[in-house]
Amino acid sequence: MSFRSGVATFAGKSSYWFLHTFLHGGSSLPGKITLKLDPNILRTLGAKYDVIVITGTNGKTLTTALTVSVLHEKYPDILTNPTGSNMEQGIVTTFLNAKNPKTGRPLAVLEVDEANVIKVTQYIEPKAFVFTNIFRDQMDRYGEIYTTYQKILDGVALAPNATIIANGDSPIFHSKELPNPIQYYGFDDQPDGDFKAKPNTDGVLCPNCEHILHYHSLTYSNQGKYFCPNCGFSRPELTYRLTKLGEQTPTSSKFEIDGHPFKIQVGGTYNIYNALAAYAVGRFMGVTPEQVSDAFNANQQVFGRQEVINVDGKRVTIILVKNPVGLDQVLHMIGTDTHPFSLVGLLNANYADGIDTSWIWDGDFEQLADRDIPTVITGGERYKDITFRLKVAGIPDDRHIVEPNLEKVVEEIKKVSTDRVYVLATYTAMLQMRKILADKGYVKEGLGL
Amino acid sequence: MSYELNVAHLYGDLMNTYGDVGNILALNYYAKQMDVTLNVKVVSLEEDFHAADYDLAFFGGGQDFEQTIVSQDIQTKKAELIKFIESDGPLLAICGGFQLLGHYYIGADGEKLPGIGALDHYTLAQDHNRFIGDIVIKNQETGETYHGFENHQGLTYLGKGERPLGNVVSGKGNNGEDGTEGAIYKNVYCSYFHGPILTRNGDIAKHLLVAALKRKYPDADFSQQEALPIPATF
Repeated sequence: MSFRSGVATFAGKSSYWFLHTFLHGGSSLPGKITLKLDPNILRTLGAKYDVIVITGTNGKTLTTALTVSVLHEKYPDILTNPTGSNMEQGIVTTFLNAKNPKTGRPLAVLEVDEANVIKVTQYIEPKAFVFTNIFRDQMDRYGEIYTTYQKILDGVALAPNATIIANGDSPIFHSKELPNPIQYYGFDDQPDGDFKAKPNTDGVLCPNCEHILHYHSLTYSNQGKYFCPNCGFSRPELTYRLTKLGEQTPTSSKFEIDGHPFKIQVGGTYNIYNALAAYAVGRFMGVTPEQVSDAFNANQQVFGRQEVINVDGKRVTIILVKNPVGLDQVLHMIGTDTHPFSLVGLLNANYADGIDTSWIWDGDFEQLADRDIPTVITGGERYKDITFRLKVAGIPDDRHIVEPNLEKVVEEIKKVSTDRVYVLATYTAMLQMRKILADKGYVKEGLGL
Repeated sequence: MSYELNVAHLYGDLMNTYGDVGNILALNYYAKQMDVTLNVKVVSLEEDFHAADYDLAFFGGGQDFEQTIVSQDIQTKKAELIKFIESDGPLLAICGGFQLLGHYYIGADGEKLPGIGALDHYTLAQDHNRFIGDIVIKNQETGETYHGFENHQGLTYLGKGERPLGNVVSGKGNNGEDGTEGAIYKNVYCSYFHGPILTRNGDIAKHLLVAALKRKYPDADFSQQEALPIPATF
């Protein structure tokens, strides 16, 4: 290591240590550092803001970006944290880096990791919380869904006056009595039937009487208009309702909320939930439906996760996958493409990906079996696992290219017969793929997330 | 001639946390190569399990809350499950399923929860620790090596009549002390290997399927099925 990077590493590590320590109470802080920095810096800085905390397993990033866009229609000054900075260090840094607000009382819209909600509420009482959903997610890191929800509630308990804006279709958000005012959003576009969730779904027990929940209508996973035939527990009254679901493609969705038409330039039912959450926050903060629509139309770049990259004429879409529900939704979304496409699956199992690859078996790759995909490529550090997954899903060997090396995967992509290529990749595989595409000049450096 | 096997997926809607359904998919994958059709049915809360209706059973792992509920409900299926096991019914049980076939386990809040005692093991809990990571074991009888991923708080101790599924080569195993991993009793295979154990260890899928076939069709010749090559997937 060079002298310069040694100094940089030391500086980074000591500031990490400092922030980490003082946010945990700072009792053992050396006096000279305490003199330099206020131990309650988050309290001091946060006090100037109306804070909205967005948390949950999936959709935090896009919901936060969309919410910022929506609120910008009415509020000029909004502070938000960059993607990936959703733990205590990143949030403190976000506030430390903030410019002095132009107006009296600006907003801060923060994406917060589930376990870090309490690290915000120790210092700041937010105006509102947004709960997107809780699904099983890299369980070697996060634990079970009930544990995750309890971590969020431990943080919420310190802010009993904050309004909770929650996904009403998710039964877990109706499972505990809370003192907070609560508003729910959800899908209300189907006539009532009587269904059960697919067998391989998490969180289908009634929180009240522990029988298996039924649904009048289901969107995906365990979300929908649930009810318990045994005890009468049911979905709460919705404040914000998705009243009509229109055309869905991999790159766009049309729908109506409370009777108002909207279009977003991104596919996937899960992204409609994100838009619904942003709408709910907007309405809660006094933004009109017309302004919400303007915001959805104006902000294309927030959908960066589905950026299309031109690789010698192939339209390549790289999509991050990290847990079963997200994976299922991505598979469903690409299934809405009316054009033929090729599929690439890149699996790593580093810490950021989740070190247990079991979850790929919970993704319903079988739904692609009747799509007649001409070429499937599997690669990445754990290519054997994803290769066998797709073999079992029914991909024939003569259409299946196994190529662990990502450089060579790019060469194989250039040779496929379709114009469209979907690359599903775990986090570190996506970073590696982007780096290769950047080195070859197909994409600018950086994440585009 | 083609064969059919009826498979009970025990509590498939509750005990399904870590890719457990991959075992059903892998069984189906190898069954097809053996000219066998599987009819899989989820048998869950308040539903009857009749030993005579099934040729093969799978019991996966679940979250703490779900496992607590299953621990109560499975008592109503105890007699028929024991009948199935004692009559050499092939069964694969993972994590929570493994624990619930034994006498008892210790739940997340320290409470002692009953299993069905079909197998003679019991499970204690580690204090604020889990065994998490890749694991490799070796079965002494067959010489087969199995690869998997473990993630469990439970410490399981085998009892009378049980042999381990394998001895730990690397990783922790049943309890981190005695070098055993999983259990075999008659045609029951148990393991802490997460979720999709059969996807990486096709040999176990083959053992289960062949045992089920021989039990259901005692006069048929399954030498071809037994000779099915299982290429490495890991």
